[in-house]
Amino acid sequence: MSAGKILVVDDDPQIRRVMKATLVGHNYEVIEARTGEEALETIPKESPNLILLDMNMPGMGGLETCRAIRSGADTLVIILSVRNTEKDKVAALDAGADDYVTKPFGIEELLARIRAALRRSPSEGGPRSFQLAGLEVDFETRRVRARGADVRLTPKEFELLRYLVGHAGKPVTHRELLQAVWGPDYGDEPEYLRVFINQVRKKIEVNPAKPQYILTVPWVGYQFVEPE
Amino acid sequence: MLLKSIRFVASMAIVGAVLAADWELHVNATTAALSLLLAILAISAQLGLAEALVTSVAAMLGFNLLFLPPVGRLTIQDPQNWVALAAFLVTAVTASQLSAHARRRAAEAEARRLEIERLYALVQSMMLTGSARKTIREFVNRVVQVFGCTAAAFYYRPTDEFVRSGPESKVVSDHELLAESEVEEVSVDPIRGIAIAPVRLGGRTLGSMALIGSPPSPQMAHAIANLIAITIEKARALEDASHAEAARQSELLKSALLDSLAHDIKTPLTSIKAAVTSLLGSAAGADQELLTIINEEADRLNRLAAEVVEMARIEAGKLHLDKQPVPVAELISGALSELPLKGRPLKLRVPSDLPPAEADRDFAGQVVKQFVENALKYSPEGSPLEISAELKGGKIVIGVGDRGPGIEENERPRIFDKFYRGRRHRFDTKGTGMGLAIAKGIVEAHGERIWVESEPGQGAVFYFSLAASTGGRES
Repeated sequence: MSAGKILVVDDDPQIRRVMKATLVGHNYEVIEARTGEEALETIPKESPNLILLDMNMPGMGGLETCRAIRSGADTLVIILSVRNTEKDKVAALDAGADDYVTKPFGIEELLARIRAALRRSPSEGGPRSFQLAGLEVDFETRRVRARGADVRLTPKEFELLRYLVGHAGKPVTHRELLQAVWGPDYGDEPEYLRVFINQVRKKIEVNPAKPQYILTVPWVGYQFVEPE
Repeated sequence: MLLKSIRFVASMAIVGAVLAADWELHVNATTAALSLLLAILAISAQLGLAEALVTSVAAMLGFNLLFLPPVGRLTIQDPQNWVALAAFLVTAVTASQLSAHARRRAAEAEARRLEIERLYALVQSMMLTGSARKTIREFVNRVVQVFGCTAAAFYYRPTDEFVRSGPESKVVSDHELLAESEVEEVSVDPIRGIAIAPVRLGGRTLGSMALIGSPPSPQMAHAIANLIAITIEKARALEDASHAEAARQSELLKSALLDSLAHDIKTPLTSIKAAVTSLLGSAAGADQELLTIINEEADRLNRLAAEVVEMARIEAGKLHLDKQPVPVAELISGALSELPLKGRPLKLRVPSDLPPAEADRDFAGQVVKQFVENALKYSPEGSPLEISAELKGGKIVIGVGDRGPGIEENERPRIFDKFYRGRRHRFDTKGTGMGLAIAKGIVEAHGERIWVESEPGQGAVFYFSLAASTGGRES
């Protein structure tokens, strides 16, 4: 039985070859697309579980393709890119990607990311809803209101907030947070966490540079507090 | 002379004809006098003062003889005679002066028209070339043709060059041209047949020019000087603009090339690395060892490509910094999380009230990482590392210290040079020799300082400074 259907989108045929050989060897069903345009045609026909999307492609390019995919479906997207700056990661996550892997990568790392992404949303339980003066979160309907306006959090951002609120008042370590939200193979990506925390802060904090709710605990991690 | 005599004869003939006509028609004295006056007016206006004076006298005599009684006799005593003579003479003098003046004005106007026409022809013929030098050469040749001079010379001060139309222009020496560029006034020397003028634009001196042969008026020389000054400036502006555009294009190209180079090297490495790590999972024994080598070397090649591209970008001045307040603790923990510390004891000294640094997070983090990597590489296994950050004189100073052999004093300035390796480590370490040079490039792009302090035998501490953020952000 297949562990999932993966669409590999990359303009480089060698990369598609090696991905196909490897992923098929790990029990995934693999389909390919050479461009973003081709990927968008393939997705409705094949309904893949996950898309490995190259960032730097001729034509539409990875980011634009990712946005186009997001506007139509909730398919998981992992962006692969030769660039490794925070700017590029933020751009990818802003475009709606669930994860970001820098090329070149060891195959174990990629497989771990794929497994984590395909695993169903991890945290159950915790609070059902939550209300403060400037922030309301309903964990059942996944609705977030900040300062009276609805804000849209991506699934990962939402899980992050849920976990921090569930442990309000206590510092949560980077590792703990990464493993709770992304999966057990994560833990050494504090810079990765920072990107998502910044995204959440931008959406719920009055002044993201001086956060009131999600505080950084230097060297340790993050902590959700109820402002006085 | 002949022309003059013809004019005298013609004047006399006119007066004679008028007298004859009046006589034939039996007109009265008044009519005769008026018709003679008209004749004198015409002669003085058309032919000149001398002719008019002579004919005035002749007309008076004729008038006296034929029309004043007693007819047929010259009676000079008659006062009517004097009135007629005076009227004739005054008319002759006034009319001839007025007409001479008008003729002179017309001649002047004609000369000016001609000069303006030539100036216009000069403007037309000066094609706007893209360089001041070509423009001057063109001008020197054109001005000779257009103004009918024998030669022209130009001194261009910005490049200290003398441009001459030909050897005839040597009448005006280099020294004279140089001296003229210092003064304000145009000087025209009709005896030597030269005009020299300073060439200025606004308050700026561009040089001087000389016209030899038939020099134009000082005003015209001035106009020519202004014209050439403007033309040179235009050519220069055009030249600058095209240089700037070319430089911008080449920078864009360089930047695009660097990006595509990084991409093109990393793409095949991605396939190699993915394939080899995939094989590593199931290989055994000797294969495992060989595949590990391929994997490590792929990593090394990847690092090398990244560093070459980054070094090129630094040297091209193409490092795009995205400065923002960055908590120093995050810079350090980020760098540490990416390195295998292999159980090294770590001493961290970072005050909790340290303000955030104003820096590009990625690049500043890379400097810290480079320092820690260096410390790990050049100090014995198991020896401790010390990382500190403090506020000193308004700057945040971050230091990474090791207990390695340290760096000799004479090596310290060169350690940040590209491809430099410590004497002792020349043959025994991996790496590209670009790490510290890149760190230096990054720090300098921030406008900050990088340095090393070392006690040989005791270890070394690498430092760099960053501006403290004034914006404030939770750290």
